[in-house]
Amino acid sequence: MRTRLFSNRLLFAASLGLALSLATTACKEKELLNPVPKTSLQGSLLFNTPDRVLGQVNGMYAGLKNGSFYGGRYPMLSDIRGEEFINRLQNVFTGYDAWNHTINSGSNDALTTWSTAYAAINSANLVIDGLAANPNVVPAATAAQYTGEAKFVRALSYFALITFYGQPYVKDAGASSGVPLRLTGETTTANNDLARSTVAAVYTQILKDLNEAETALPLTYSTALLNTTRAHRNTAIALKTRVYLNMGRYADVVTEAQKIVSATAPYRATTGVAHQLQANVNTVFSTDYATTESILSMPMTTLDNVSGQNSLGYEYNINQEYNLNPTGILGNAAWRTTDARRTMLRTSGTTVYLAKYRTANPYLDYVPVVRYAEVLLNYAEALTRQATPDLTTAAAILTAVHQRSDATYTLPAASVATASALTSAIWVERRIELLGEGFRSNDLLRNLLTIPAKGTAPSITPSQPEYIFPIPNAEISSNKLL
Amino acid sequence: MAQTTVKGKVLDDSKMGIPGVTVLVKGTTLGTATGGDGSFSLACPPDSRLVFSFVGYATQEVAVGGRSTLSVTLATDAKQLDDVVVVGYGTQTKAEFTGSAARVSGDVVKDLPVQSFDQGLAGKATGVSIGQPNGVLNNAPVIRIRGVNSISLSSYPLIVVDGIPINTGNLSANTTVANNPLGDINPADIESIDVLKDAASTAIYGSRAAAGVILITTKNGKNGKARVTYEGWTGITNAVRLPKMLNAEQFMLIKNEAVLNAKISSGNENNSTVPSASFFPTYNADGSLVDTNWYDQVYQTGVSQNHSLSVSGGSETTKYYLSANYSDQKGILKTNEFTRKGVRFNLSHQLTPWLSLSANANYNNSLNASPNTGSLEGNAFGLVGSARLAWLSAPNVYAINPDGSYNLSTANTLGMGNNTVASNFYNPVPLLDLNKYTSENDRIITTFSVGVTPFKGLEYRLNYGIDRLKIENANFQSAVHGPGFGSGNATNSSVLADNWNVTNTLTYQRTLGTKHALSLLVGYDVQKFNNSLWGATRSQVSDSFFDTFEGSYSNIVPVTSALSERAFASGFARFTYDFDKRYFLTVNVRRDGNSALGTGKKYGTFGGVSGGWALSQESFYKNSALADVVTNLKLRASWGKVGNGNLPNPYGSLSLYNSALYAGVATWVFAQGGNPDLGWETSKQTNVGADIGLFNDRVQLDLTYYRNNVDQLILNVPQTPSKGIPNNAILQNVGAMYNRGFEAGITANLVNSGKFSWTSNLNYTTNKNMVTELYGAGSEIVGTTSTSSETTNITRVGYSVGSLYGARTNGVNPANGQRIFINAKGEQVQYNHAVPSGQSRWTYLDGRTAAAISVSDYQLLGNALPTWYGGFNNTLKYGNFDLTVNFVYSGGNYVMNGSKATWRDQRFWNNTTEVLDRWTTPGQVTDIPRVVYGDLLSNGSSFPISANVEKADFLRLQSAGIGYRLPLGMFGKSGISSVRVYSQVFNAFLITKYTGTDPDISSNGNTNTTPGVDKNSIPQGRTFTLGVNVGF
Repeated sequence: MRTRLFSNRLLFAASLGLALSLATTACKEKELLNPVPKTSLQGSLLFNTPDRVLGQVNGMYAGLKNGSFYGGRYPMLSDIRGEEFINRLQNVFTGYDAWNHTINSGSNDALTTWSTAYAAINSANLVIDGLAANPNVVPAATAAQYTGEAKFVRALSYFALITFYGQPYVKDAGASSGVPLRLTGETTTANNDLARSTVAAVYTQILKDLNEAETALPLTYSTALLNTTRAHRNTAIALKTRVYLNMGRYADVVTEAQKIVSATAPYRATTGVAHQLQANVNTVFSTDYATTESILSMPMTTLDNVSGQNSLGYEYNINQEYNLNPTGILGNAAWRTTDARRTMLRTSGTTVYLAKYRTANPYLDYVPVVRYAEVLLNYAEALTRQATPDLTTAAAILTAVHQRSDATYTLPAASVATASALTSAIWVERRIELLGEGFRSNDLLRNLLTIPAKGTAPSITPSQPEYIFPIPNAEISSNKLL
Repeated sequence: MAQTTVKGKVLDDSKMGIPGVTVLVKGTTLGTATGGDGSFSLACPPDSRLVFSFVGYATQEVAVGGRSTLSVTLATDAKQLDDVVVVGYGTQTKAEFTGSAARVSGDVVKDLPVQSFDQGLAGKATGVSIGQPNGVLNNAPVIRIRGVNSISLSSYPLIVVDGIPINTGNLSANTTVANNPLGDINPADIESIDVLKDAASTAIYGSRAAAGVILITTKNGKNGKARVTYEGWTGITNAVRLPKMLNAEQFMLIKNEAVLNAKISSGNENNSTVPSASFFPTYNADGSLVDTNWYDQVYQTGVSQNHSLSVSGGSETTKYYLSANYSDQKGILKTNEFTRKGVRFNLSHQLTPWLSLSANANYNNSLNASPNTGSLEGNAFGLVGSARLAWLSAPNVYAINPDGSYNLSTANTLGMGNNTVASNFYNPVPLLDLNKYTSENDRIITTFSVGVTPFKGLEYRLNYGIDRLKIENANFQSAVHGPGFGSGNATNSSVLADNWNVTNTLTYQRTLGTKHALSLLVGYDVQKFNNSLWGATRSQVSDSFFDTFEGSYSNIVPVTSALSERAFASGFARFTYDFDKRYFLTVNVRRDGNSALGTGKKYGTFGGVSGGWALSQESFYKNSALADVVTNLKLRASWGKVGNGNLPNPYGSLSLYNSALYAGVATWVFAQGGNPDLGWETSKQTNVGADIGLFNDRVQLDLTYYRNNVDQLILNVPQTPSKGIPNNAILQNVGAMYNRGFEAGITANLVNSGKFSWTSNLNYTTNKNMVTELYGAGSEIVGTTSTSSETTNITRVGYSVGSLYGARTNGVNPANGQRIFINAKGEQVQYNHAVPSGQSRWTYLDGRTAAAISVSDYQLLGNALPTWYGGFNNTLKYGNFDLTVNFVYSGGNYVMNGSKATWRDQRFWNNTTEVLDRWTTPGQVTDIPRVVYGDLLSNGSSFPISANVEKADFLRLQSAGIGYRLPLGMFGKSGISSVRVYSQVFNAFLITKYTGTDPDISSNGNTNTTPGVDKNSIPQGRTFTLGVNVGF
């Protein structure tokens, strides 16, 4: 009997163990230890479908649109370093260091601008590499177009980097040290070290990418939204006018501009997307963000927008981090009270705020990156500064831009008397037209002008180290070849 | 044989009846148990001997000797309670245990005014350091067992409740409200807390145990009639050690002086467009100066109450414990509240001699409500942090206007009254009034276990456990003011942390002959975690009536969702052997599979061996003279290797792409750089010690030396930012460090004479942490406070993890009142915030232009990890009175008093009264620089400075209490068998030279690489309680 009981118990224990444990767990061990993430995609699956490739192309633009980059912080830093804005709250998280020229290599803004630009560059490099390695996922023509878009994204990102962290090209024809030129995708721990290329080499790469993009990009997309949010042929050309202008290659600016600016008014692009100025400048900033004037803008939707301290609407308007400097362009006589562009200002007491970005909570105003008005002003400026200035056309274009917003305005005779006077008038126009769109400090730097003092912030001469951003400490400490 | 009825009473030392004592006639099964008042009645032969036994008391035999009444006093048996050590998957007696562990009785924490038991462990267990990072309710303490044992991975110990490793850490994903999952366990339900410290003990938990293991055993019934206990307390909590801020008059004096100084220094002395003063008074209707004390607006006296009721009991075969508890605690900050409601049912049943069943079930609801305090990890620099707002808000303006409206500017900031400068900060009053932030847990922790004993010595056990935690976060931000300004928004999110655990063990125990005892345990354990997070933010509230997510809004946007799985699958074995209770040996081995590691690196094998020699059991020792003094002497040593693969990210080894939107269409974006070779961190621990009992074990000493070498550290190795890798980092196995130290615990029965007794425990631990290798020559890990807001720490080879980091200063230049900094070359440079255009703010002391101090000039400013710590605990009893006095101490480390930078900032912020000692006159020696309006740099707001680094050494009276046990006779036949009333003070006082609020504060919570930063956190409160324990 005792043996019998004994074996019953054993049997019970054994069957319990087998039934409840081994069956439920042990044989599933491999599955348990290799879970597949359900909300992220593993790298090996990225080129499985055409939709995923398109998703990566859109992902590159999303990289540009990052709140620390073209989505907000980059144009903001670029503007507040100039003299148009007064910092009100001394908050380093909303750019006080940049405004005050106290950015150092450990500053957040020095690192985040750098990192987000390079993240966008890497996403472009990964698309270029991935399309080459997976040639049959999308048709060859589509692959060529995507590659062109990637080169455009890369060029735009390098332009942001080289104008922030490199000495102006015109200072020494680009002989200064620029930034590391990364042209292949990085996903692993390898390749931390890479030396800086010269400013000239970076510009050369930017132009090479833009030239290749120009031939690869489509003339138009199927919708106005796509025409404004993805690069097409005219986008590449438009950006080239900006790049050449920065390099002082005015004849090249003219050549490029003429591809997309008609010889006579109304000035418009005759091939590709039919860019032209809208009748009312407010249209572009409030009622229709995807007109033909907006060559490239960063789109904002309720499900996908930049909010908080990176948002231009938050900085300039809602949270009043900056007001317009009364002694900056705000006080310029050329900007008359009748000017429609003054409707994009807001006055509280005696303080004037920029209200170009006004849709708040959520912040849905698109952030312009390339606008046709800029192309026209690039063109006009180059016409005045090229070897043989064409003041007539330049003045006509300038007038077109100004009169769009202030129809009764006429250029003073003195402004058209000499090429340099007209250049100055165009510079004033840029400050009015492009206020808050991220141009001011680059416009000073590309002309080797001193950054004027404003409020309590001192002036900065081209010879001072504060004239450009320092390369961030994180790059210095991890890149041994820098 | 004739029977006689013996009646009597069983009493304890304090002459209180002990219920449930087993009374057996020796040599028979005849017996009974004492009733609620300790009385018994038993029929037995008049010459029989009665055996009185009860857990926690020494068993006593009494001859009846013909008596019909007898009274017995049972002596407490301190040793008996301490005799057992709960180890992984079982228990060992203390005599045979050869690792290193500490045991704390549940009684120690049950009456403390804490939200979770871990907060009550400070100073109680040798080797365990508990820091309270702020005064926010239910904030997880910083727990370190023998130091920081990892750099990137959690240094939080594994917490096992009744056999199941439970969810810990910040699971709520709520960045505003503290929600420590350990707050879901009612401290009154805990029987014991065992802390396993050395690798030989923890290796049975393999990869989970690198930071130590805390084993919680909950209560169960005891043989005998049902016992009912009620335990309740009520208390009040106040903020302590808040610095004194400037009043309105002083504020205007200092700030206007700063404005004028700035005007003069910037060369605008004669420029009438630059103001000479910017701060002007506001007057009340009665003509008095508006002088707002912001502490009154933000802090409160928190009133708390806590109730626990339990019923327990059982028979030889069935034991049960049932409890319910309710706790409602209010913090020192307005709207900070913790509410817990829970029930527990523990049952064990011996179905047949060979089959036993047990089940523990705990359901709990915890509601955490809190404003944004600025004290939680990542929040130190927020515009909404209550502590910071109370410090920096201008005192010369209203909090609430005379008409009852909030004092607000048009730009969604505090109205600055007649001051002519703007503030970028919110008015804290509407934030506290209108915004709501809660995090609510619904949790079931349950275990079911079956034990089968086919034959004596062999037991098979199946243990199935579930820890299912559902968290609902609900935030509402008003449109009136603050982050929801102009919109009004509500965010609800649901978090699931669900884990199940199946353990199979087979244990065989055998004694060979009389001297060889051996046991073997083999087991297989699988644990699976499923976590998810989803929710949405609704904005543009339709009407100010709504203040919940369920109201009406125009917009809705999802929050970032998450879904993850993680699993551990492990086989393990333990072999123990002892010879004649003199020589002991334990061997552990565990093979662990961890889903978070790289393909091919998922498995690791760990193990440990420990041995002991009970010298005092040797006959030669027993005969030696030493044996009279040193009554017990055991030497022990262990070595073990454990792994750490507790990656915060369950998919940390994978390269991943995430999808989002661009212009309304889908994207795929590189989101994580992976490393398929990611493997285990391993630590090799050596542990040598002795257990010594003196004078019949009246004094017990526990001495241990340990060293823990950790290598293959998993580090988030920085990648050159120009590579564009997400977060500029990839996890890799590189680097090494060690912890070494010495632990001593001494427990003494100092006095035990009749009515008076005094037991004292002093424990002391030293720890030296050093990083010996990182990812290549010259590499270092920079730690930042509040995401990347401020660089505050550095981890560097040759120093401890997370040393303080910043700019070195050398006081204030008596000649001009400027802060003097030391640059990387060792040169002195001074800073003047306001200079004429074109001049440099930075100059050498002789006036030559100097380069600005930047990161490249930063230096390591001090070790941030305590090098010694411990506790001093005393229990005194006199008659019916008892007194406890428990101290905690810690030191050897430095704290960056970052709040001081806030207190001295020369923007529009208010300052502490220390600033009245600012430099004003050439030749004046002071540590407060000349005030210059806008100066955020000289006092450490721009970047940390050594002037704010302070020694953290402290002694805290953690808790002190006095209790009185009411005489039994008072309650007659009410059924009440014992009543104890007591009063306690928690965090009574702090003796320290630290000038901040509390050297324990950690603005970065449990983070390894950024300890010792005190930035804008609220201090701990001091709590007084009145309580009562009633037994039926």
